[in-house]
Amino acid sequence: MRVLTLVRQVLDAEESVRIKDGAVDLDGRKLVLDTMDEYGLEQALRIRESGAEVEVVAAAIGPARCQDVLRTALAMGADRAIHVETDTKLDVIAVSKVMAGIAAREAVDLVLCGGQQADWDSQALGAAIAERMQWPQVTWTNALQLNGNELVGKHDVDEGSASFSLPLPAVITTQQGLNEPRYPTLPNIMKAKKKELRKDALEQYGATPLVKVIAESVQVKERLNKRLDTKDVHAAAAELVNLLRNEARVIA
Amino acid sequence: MATAVATVAAKRVNGGSFLIEDILPADIFTLEDLSEEQKQIAQTTADFAEKEVLANVDAIEEKQFDVTRGLLKRAGDLGLMSVDVPEEFGGLEMDKVTSALIADKISVCGSFSVAFSAHVGIGMLPLIWYGTQEQKNKYLAKLASGEWVASYALSESSSGSDAMNIRTQAVLSPDGKHYILNGEKMWISNAGMANLFTVFAKIDGEKFSAFLIEAGTPGLTVGAEEHKLGIRGSSTCPLVLADCKVPVENLLGEAGNGHRIAFNILNVGRYKLGAAAIGGSKYAFRNGIRYGKDRIAFGKSVTSFGLIQEKIAESAALIYAGEALIYRVVGAIDASLAELDKSAPDITMQVQKRIEEYAVECSIVKVWASEMLERVVDHMLQIHGGYGYVEEFPAERSYRDARINKIFEGTNEINRLITTGWMIKRAMQGRLALLPAIQRVMDEVMAGPSPKDEHTGDLAAQRGLLASAKKLGLFCAGAASQKFGNGLGDQQEIMGALADIIIEVLVLESVILRTEKMAGAKPLAIKMAKYYAARSFRIVETAAERVLAAVAEGDMLRTQMTIFRRLAKHEPENTVLLGREIATAMTENGRYAF
Repeated sequence: MRVLTLVRQVLDAEESVRIKDGAVDLDGRKLVLDTMDEYGLEQALRIRESGAEVEVVAAAIGPARCQDVLRTALAMGADRAIHVETDTKLDVIAVSKVMAGIAAREAVDLVLCGGQQADWDSQALGAAIAERMQWPQVTWTNALQLNGNELVGKHDVDEGSASFSLPLPAVITTQQGLNEPRYPTLPNIMKAKKKELRKDALEQYGATPLVKVIAESVQVKERLNKRLDTKDVHAAAAELVNLLRNEARVIA
Repeated sequence: MATAVATVAAKRVNGGSFLIEDILPADIFTLEDLSEEQKQIAQTTADFAEKEVLANVDAIEEKQFDVTRGLLKRAGDLGLMSVDVPEEFGGLEMDKVTSALIADKISVCGSFSVAFSAHVGIGMLPLIWYGTQEQKNKYLAKLASGEWVASYALSESSSGSDAMNIRTQAVLSPDGKHYILNGEKMWISNAGMANLFTVFAKIDGEKFSAFLIEAGTPGLTVGAEEHKLGIRGSSTCPLVLADCKVPVENLLGEAGNGHRIAFNILNVGRYKLGAAAIGGSKYAFRNGIRYGKDRIAFGKSVTSFGLIQEKIAESAALIYAGEALIYRVVGAIDASLAELDKSAPDITMQVQKRIEEYAVECSIVKVWASEMLERVVDHMLQIHGGYGYVEEFPAERSYRDARINKIFEGTNEINRLITTGWMIKRAMQGRLALLPAIQRVMDEVMAGPSPKDEHTGDLAAQRGLLASAKKLGLFCAGAASQKFGNGLGDQQEIMGALADIIIEVLVLESVILRTEKMAGAKPLAIKMAKYYAARSFRIVETAAERVLAAVAEGDMLRTQMTIFRRLAKHEPENTVLLGREIATAMTENGRYAF
């Protein structure tokens, strides 16, 4: 069987975000493989290591710099890589067309991608690929195994979690908790040099984004720089909860 | 000889030639020249350091050696210990830049770094270089995988820098099957968790030799852990050898050849120490910046104050210079090793000889990098104020851990003497054209004022400073040897001051070349190069003045000081402004980055 795993390139979470002319400035910033996608890649490798006859294909869609994350994927253990190189900004529907195109051409049985994009939080891609392929999909998986020709696993639902099984072919979106991604070992980094990294053109997939980004404007919030008096730790904790709930509104 | 990980090879140069020759930016290796694979290896190492070493730092510091051993095993699984191991023993046999890069990126916790480098460096290299096929078959794979830990036992309570004076004795047993060792060893890194020791002893009190001794061998006792100022989580114990029976097949190298093992390992240890100091200083830098950014005083972040920015700027410029220095030196070593025929029967001897060619550069790296680290951790602790002095923040640990670097791998005093002494020795042997270069400078300065050399580019003024520093170094060396002749070696303070000039010449040149090599050099890199050059030249001036005042007096001194002032004449950079700009950019980055 063949597994297609999407790898996106995003700003390293450790980096401070720099804003220039209203947009996030990526120049000179450290870019990494989106962790959300990395869980998918890792799971594909684990499925292969569990004994199944699996070829793992990593795909990236984007500018030339995206090949760095493909090299990371190859060094982690992907068998080969496809880079659809383009400087055009694609909306999620156009990306799904490219992914579906690759899935069809490469006769893929399983597509894996992160449940949510780390930088802009879009969650639509998995569903859009599944819709194009007319395949079943399961989102937000936190456990996944291959049993013969069937996938079994668990995923989060609003009420808690649900166990599922579904036949291949399928689309699965991944999230934190599914696994702990490996880092490339030195021998694998050296082996990856010899693996195929194919370059495709966007035109080959006939994907034209209908949504065009005219301008970006990033909202920059000043830090509150609040300091808590920690002499009374209980009062400090209560104040922190109060601030997080009523001021920052990050907890309910 | 090694797997070609690097695509950009530097030019092979002669050791010590930097003082008398100029090379082009294209001739040196810089961090900007790393290959894709080297970048990935750096990333894997950094991930391991961040996610596994740092996550366990409390357990490591409490000397929970099972945790440290587990991490060493993990490092072995990732391949981080196989870089210097030959392919035929399952190793990766990569270039030295890659192994320096690993030493750099792994260094976020001094205790673990010492355990790691004592294992892969002095622990494994003697076996790799001098072991017989049987010895390597028996031990190398276990060590490279991290299943076993190695330890190197040379020092004794009464012999440290004077390593040849060890008292430990070895005697062949009457049946000729064993060597019987007696003696004690002191300050042995990894001793408390090691499986294999490389122990130095004199056979029949004469032949300085090395032995491989397995832990548990009767007669070998590991003493109690030392309580140390820093690197507290690393194991440091004495060893006692009481009629310890070592099979004759565990003699490492030839009897009486131990000094070669001991000394050749040092060069590698020194450049790796430099690389580790880079990692340690970047880690401290990041912690200092992050704390400083959040710390509010008088209603403002403390990183907005000039005297704090000065510390940030100097630290950043030092780290930048350190990277330039270390990767240049290691890149030059790789360039030299790349020419060797890997299949030659005496390949390991040739490798050592090629590395030994850069002994002076290795000593310089050791001295400069350990003092750079000390300066950076001090600045970063200071940014924390009182919080820097308590264990709750990592600044305190970085500060304590830095100190050992000026002591081990040859004290900085010994390495300063080596630096100047090596240059003089090479000159006397006619292998380095130092004397003609000194003569040229003497002739030039005696001829009276001459127009300054013209330099161009972003760093034209800094190139001028470098040229002056070289001339001042040669001028002072000439003046000192005129006065003391062959007795100069005994004038340690003067040897030390001359070393300071030689060191700064290599560092400053590396900084300029790295910056110029960067295609369309980044403005921040240029600023750091300028900042470093100003600092560097102050050190050169101070050292030169110290030498001249010690070798001349009266009219002679006045004449020499006139020459000194002429050579040192320059228009100073505005380092206040430069410092603010560097610090602002670094603070925004939240770490060392440009």
